[in-house]
Amino acid sequence: MSGRLVYHLNVSVLGRTFLRVQRWQAEQRGASGWKSQHLAPPLKISPRVKELVARHWLEARYANLHRKVAWVTSGAPVELLKALDYCVIYPENHAAICGTARVAVDMASEAENAGYSRDICSYARTDLGAMLSGKTPVGKLPKPDLLLACTNICQTVLFWYRVLARHFNAPLVLIDTPFVYYEKASEHAVEFVKRQLEEAVPVMERTAGRSLDERKLQEVGRLSRMASQLWMEIMQRNHHRPAPITAFDQFTQMAPVVELRGDAATVDLYAAMLKEVDERITRGIGAVKNERKRLLWDNLPIWYRLRYLAEFLGEHGVALVASTYTNAWGELTALIDPERPFESMARTYTYPILNRGTGHKLATMKRMIDEYHLDGAILHSDRSCKPYSIGQIDQRDRLIRDCGVPALLLEADHNDSRCYSEEPVANRLAAFVEMLG
Amino acid sequence: MLPAIPRRSEIIRAQQDRGGLVAAVLPIHYSRALLRAFDVLPVEVWGPPNVDASYGAAHLQPYVCSLVRNALSFLRTGGLDVVDVIVVPHACDSLQGLGSILIDFVRPSQPVIPLYLPRGMRESDIQFLAEEFRSVYRQLEDITHRSPSNADLMASIEREEAADALLAQLHQRRPQLALTQTEFYRLVRAREYLPAETCSELARAVLDGRPTDSPLQRAFNCQPDDSSSGNAAPTRNPPLKGEGIPILLSGIVPEPMSLFESIAEMGGVIVADDLACCGRRLYPPGKSKDAFLRMAEGLLGGPPDPMRGSPIQERLDHLLRLTRASGARGVVFYDVKFCEPELYDLPDLRRGLQEAGIPSATIEVDLNDPLSHQALTRIEAFLEMIA
Amino acid sequence: MTASRDERRMTNSVCALGIDVGSTTVKMVGVDAEGNLAWHLLEQADPRVEDQVERFLARAPCLSPPLAGGMKGRLFLVATGYGRKLVRPAARQVTEITCHAKGVYRELAAKRGGTLVDIGGQDSKVIGISPKGDVTDFSMNDKCAAGTGRFLENTANRLGVPLDRMGEVALSASHEVSISSTCTVFAESEVISLIAHGVAVEPILRGLHRSLIKRVVAMIRTVGLAPPLMLSGGVAQNQAIPRMLEEETGEKVILPRYPQLMGAYGAALIALEM
Repeated sequence: MSGRLVYHLNVSVLGRTFLRVQRWQAEQRGASGWKSQHLAPPLKISPRVKELVARHWLEARYANLHRKVAWVTSGAPVELLKALDYCVIYPENHAAICGTARVAVDMASEAENAGYSRDICSYARTDLGAMLSGKTPVGKLPKPDLLLACTNICQTVLFWYRVLARHFNAPLVLIDTPFVYYEKASEHAVEFVKRQLEEAVPVMERTAGRSLDERKLQEVGRLSRMASQLWMEIMQRNHHRPAPITAFDQFTQMAPVVELRGDAATVDLYAAMLKEVDERITRGIGAVKNERKRLLWDNLPIWYRLRYLAEFLGEHGVALVASTYTNAWGELTALIDPERPFESMARTYTYPILNRGTGHKLATMKRMIDEYHLDGAILHSDRSCKPYSIGQIDQRDRLIRDCGVPALLLEADHNDSRCYSEEPVANRLAAFVEMLG
Repeated sequence: MLPAIPRRSEIIRAQQDRGGLVAAVLPIHYSRALLRAFDVLPVEVWGPPNVDASYGAAHLQPYVCSLVRNALSFLRTGGLDVVDVIVVPHACDSLQGLGSILIDFVRPSQPVIPLYLPRGMRESDIQFLAEEFRSVYRQLEDITHRSPSNADLMASIEREEAADALLAQLHQRRPQLALTQTEFYRLVRAREYLPAETCSELARAVLDGRPTDSPLQRAFNCQPDDSSSGNAAPTRNPPLKGEGIPILLSGIVPEPMSLFESIAEMGGVIVADDLACCGRRLYPPGKSKDAFLRMAEGLLGGPPDPMRGSPIQERLDHLLRLTRASGARGVVFYDVKFCEPELYDLPDLRRGLQEAGIPSATIEVDLNDPLSHQALTRIEAFLEMIA
Repeated sequence: MTASRDERRMTNSVCALGIDVGSTTVKMVGVDAEGNLAWHLLEQADPRVEDQVERFLARAPCLSPPLAGGMKGRLFLVATGYGRKLVRPAARQVTEITCHAKGVYRELAAKRGGTLVDIGGQDSKVIGISPKGDVTDFSMNDKCAAGTGRFLENTANRLGVPLDRMGEVALSASHEVSISSTCTVFAESEVISLIAHGVAVEPILRGLHRSLIKRVVAMIRTVGLAPPLMLSGGVAQNQAIPRMLEEETGEKVILPRYPQLMGAYGAALIALEM
């Protein structure tokens, strides 16, 4: 009971008020102080996005006091957990925050000192480092009562979550989504996923101490789908020339659709964002003031160099207009049918781009180049992300050959700045921009 | 004394001369019985070592392990031209990627059959795998125009189960066998390409201490070659039980095979095995009368393996059991560089082993490099430490 | 830092010999019956290892009869280091891990054990030593130049700082520039870039030392730090290294009198025990 009280005091009363004030102040400041001549200022809604995310982490800090906590992988069928009122934490998102805040290397070092190889995913190293040291820029990570790992983004999450399960002594729920090598997933694969979802429910209920409410699940499914659809619409507004936002903006604004999907506030947020984006289009505002060329970004962002990349490209009138990465969250839960949750979730969570063949990713990239009127592509060869990176060499060759556009393979890592070499990257980018003309 | 083992190329030729087919199978877990029921001989591709990596590098980034890169290089340089089918089981992100780029970009002339391995030990996993095998069955039907019955499949399964049981005995009775470490591994690794019946005969001959003779030649009518597999003849007397510093070898694949001579020279002896290509594939027999379920049960019932989603504690318990039963004083983790499934488990495994009084060492290799001075020094220093 | 040839002779009663055939230097040590360091010789490594070993043996002091006779006509000589397998006259070959532990235990850590950090020209290692003197665990950086003396050599070259003044120059810096590159090659280009932007040599050099130390500290954390923290190897003579190691770990760092000889010394002690 006192846990609840502490939570309500800190979060609902003090915390939220503080964050609201922060947001209000940021909104008042607005675009004043924005210095770049090449880039439009951030969306006016940005402080609200920040607030929503900060509130989530604030709630997380005290969550162990009065709620059940689940740590989940970014492609996991989170709707079930939301419907059971779990506080849902995404270690990958947390790791990305560390990457953006440039503390990821510090935290990864903790994991490395404990014996974890530098050859494992930098998200995992950042997260394991946080787990071992207790260090985190978000204040405090709540301990998980349950872990949910879905292999639709990669196999390594399973290895990583097994370590977490051991460390926290928490049950690990596995949703194993067979890889889709061909155009369609086999029926027995979809059946397998559906069965796993159904069998996961009693485990989740047991830990939550409550039963799954069908109507709540439908409601969460509905909200999930709406958020996804709005997100997709926002991204697709970039068909417009000039693009009202860049993929870099998307990287920073995507947090709610990833980690707060299923919340009504997320739907409201993206509805408002869509309005603002439409305003920009009406007023002819492009994210890059002098948009001459438009690019596709493939693979995860380079979290610790977003600003530099945005500015460098912006200076040359190059707008990063679309990315397969942000696109994944638009494609994803738009398929959810709240009336038939388990069946539709089984398909939805089997078909994310990372669970599909390299040929499918190439087709997606070609389609995006066409739809968004793109002049080229940057393929980030992310050392940490093999499922995303394997196939890029062939994909790049074919983009150049079949679409007639230049495509750059950029070697780096999404979170580990030690794998990013300033000079070579700068040189390659400069040469690529010259190739664009 | 090791009976002569037929070479890979001889077995392939003999199979094809008989009118049978050959499948190149990538690591790790798959159903040999299913392929054999169609008279398709599975020949596994572990690397191979010492292949021109530039061909693989044209498709795969440097942070992809050399096992996968070499397999692709081997294919691109004609190494797999002789096979009729390529099977790519799913074990990790890199093998997933390889399967995918073979299907979508490389497009070899042979059909490519992917096989997804479920990562749990639940009823649903067994059902799924059985269905996955049924799907492979249909693909093999199209390729071979055969339709083996449940009885045919069961017979094939029983042959494989028998071979695996004998293989398990070889591992258990390892110290009593009059074989050097190199010979032992040539023997157990012959499972990677020899038909099950031949493996069983070989195993029985070794377990009974019989000298070799014609039974092997009868299999496929091929002439066994004494200097098979390119390895030098043993230069030392075989270590008897109790001689040498006993260690457990864990990891993926023991390449280069000169590793064994080196360990022997340093005074070490491998008394237990947890390698992905050997000890982790000692599958128990299944229970079902339905062939597909039985295949699935056997595969998923094998020793703990990160590629099959085994919890870390199970792996640790298994390693501790093995060390106690064999008297190993230390564990050497011999991995291919960049192998993520192995790397996540290592810190917990090593700590758990240390707490039980079992030190361990880690070695990382690239399949194209000879065993480096550094790797050898590490093993030697480790042996000195536990001596 | 190292003379091309360096020879000391304390007493004439050498009873056992140890030779450390490294990739940059070769060292031979003679010990007396009590295991005290009695004689040593150090030279730059000659690619013709076997010739060099012959020359060393020729220079070894008059051997007491037990040594000359030895076990089955062999010398009480133990070889360690990179080229140990090439020392045919040796009675035994033992890895540098075991030998360094032995030497340092005798000299600095008798009865208490500790953690030894050895930073050589081409590799670095951390060795955990038990109170009885056994090796309990070790970690080696034997694949990558970053974290070895080579890293400092290459990059200091770029800065035009002589090897024997590197430590002094690094410590003279009032602040430090962080070098982010993992790889020696990229670190070099990072250094060039910094110089081109007008950054002074001292803070860069200090940053380079910091990179090396951080690598080493990661290995220490893997093995576990049990004081005393000891330092050996050629790079130990760089005064910045023990200082910065103390900074990073919060532990006092102690050095043996002859940091470069610990491998050969340990080998000689093993020879003595034979």
